[in-house]
Amino acid sequence: MVACHGRAVVLAEVSLRIDAGSSVALCGSNGAGKSTLARCVLGLHPLTSGKVRLDGVHATSRAQWSRRRSDIAYVPQRPAMGRFPLLVRELLDSSGDPGAGRAAAERLQVDHLLERSANTLSGGQLQRVMIARGVACVARGASVIVADEPTSALDFDGQAEVAEILTGLGVTALIISHEQVLVDRCDRVVEMAQGRLREVR
Amino acid sequence: MTDTSFVDLFALPGVQRSAWALLVAGVSLPVVGVLIIGLDVITVRFAVMHTALLGIALGLWWGVPPYGLALGMCAVLGLSLAPLASRPAGLSGPMSFVMTMTAAAALLVLSISGVNANGAFEVLWGSILATRPEDLIVLVVVAVAVLTMFATTRRRLALVLFDRELALCSGVSVVALTALALLVVCVSIGSAIRLTGALLVDSVTILPALAARNIARSFGAMVALAVMFGLVGNAVGFVAALQFDQPPGPMLVLVAGTITLVTFMPRRRPAIPALH
Repeated sequence: MVACHGRAVVLAEVSLRIDAGSSVALCGSNGAGKSTLARCVLGLHPLTSGKVRLDGVHATSRAQWSRRRSDIAYVPQRPAMGRFPLLVRELLDSSGDPGAGRAAAERLQVDHLLERSANTLSGGQLQRVMIARGVACVARGASVIVADEPTSALDFDGQAEVAEILTGLGVTALIISHEQVLVDRCDRVVEMAQGRLREVR
Repeated sequence: MTDTSFVDLFALPGVQRSAWALLVAGVSLPVVGVLIIGLDVITVRFAVMHTALLGIALGLWWGVPPYGLALGMCAVLGLSLAPLASRPAGLSGPMSFVMTMTAAAALLVLSISGVNANGAFEVLWGSILATRPEDLIVLVVVAVAVLTMFATTRRRLALVLFDRELALCSGVSVVALTALALLVVCVSIGSAIRLTGALLVDSVTILPALAARNIARSFGAMVALAVMFGLVGNAVGFVAALQFDQPPGPMLVLVAGTITLVTFMPRRRPAIPALH
């Protein structure tokens, strides 16, 4: 696929195939296009050319994109958290399975934050909540997880703990990360530089 | 003004109608204010105001009900803005464009048609005490629409206003919901400008929502607090206007503004234990 930001080509004929159930760590320097790649997979960034297939299906219509997104658990680098208060509980409920959200919150040790407004959390707490939401999406039935630097705000113990959780979900995983502990646990490692991908391991 | 005459004023049908209008507005328009803040379209008032002005000018020229045409044009404005809401730059630019173009078009229409410009400009200076029965009906219809929309889309709307992309990834029809919200916002403001005039419409929409945002921890709490502030502000402002024989518009703004200011005041922080 090819994707641009304005006139700048961010993804230059990138091709990546991930086998079902395997995990891929995507590394690369800042601005290399890693997040853009993840956003293209979710249809949040338009492709200039190319296709993104999930189980062989390329989404074109709005309904297909909606199905695609419900089949992917997305852990953003940092939610927009604009002007609005939203309870952690409500954020977890948006996974589509409130029960799974509670269970994931317990697992990520954020269950005591359920009645807190999400925009009052620390960076690390918010990251744990977003991971819990992703885990709940998988419990609800998502077959893929896309996580954009999910451990960047966590301490060392937290990174190891989250690495174990994310790679142990048993679903296809595309994880953007620079953290060694997380990269080491993935089945494959690819590096992005100047809009192109290179297999590292 | 004596207490007797103040009570007597409430016996007048016009004053009663105004009180009902403020009650209905107090319940529904702060919800619209919450949407305005969430969608980051605070300048929407200007775009709606000038669109309504154009609608009224056209209505007077063509001999169709001007206020109805104005509301229809406000609805079209809301729907036509929706596709632009996903742009990173937001809606401020398009709304400024609409505001300028509709103002120019209205002035041209008034000039070409030769209709009485005062009739059109009345919309900018509306007064709560001039509320007509048909205005009250429109307000009630709009209020029912606003509250129904909120009740049926609350969770999805909360997510869209929190993070549009996260809402998309949660299966929410963000484009449709944004279009619905903008439609409701534009029509509501179009109907509200008859109450306080376009220049003071913020007092019944945005100010209660701003005050609520300073306190609330969740979307539901923010809406509930905004409604409470809206009702209190309208009631106190209206009674004060009658009591002190002053125009209601500025009194409503002063009361709503005071409530909002109070919510900006710093709260007591918990004591920090001393280090030993």
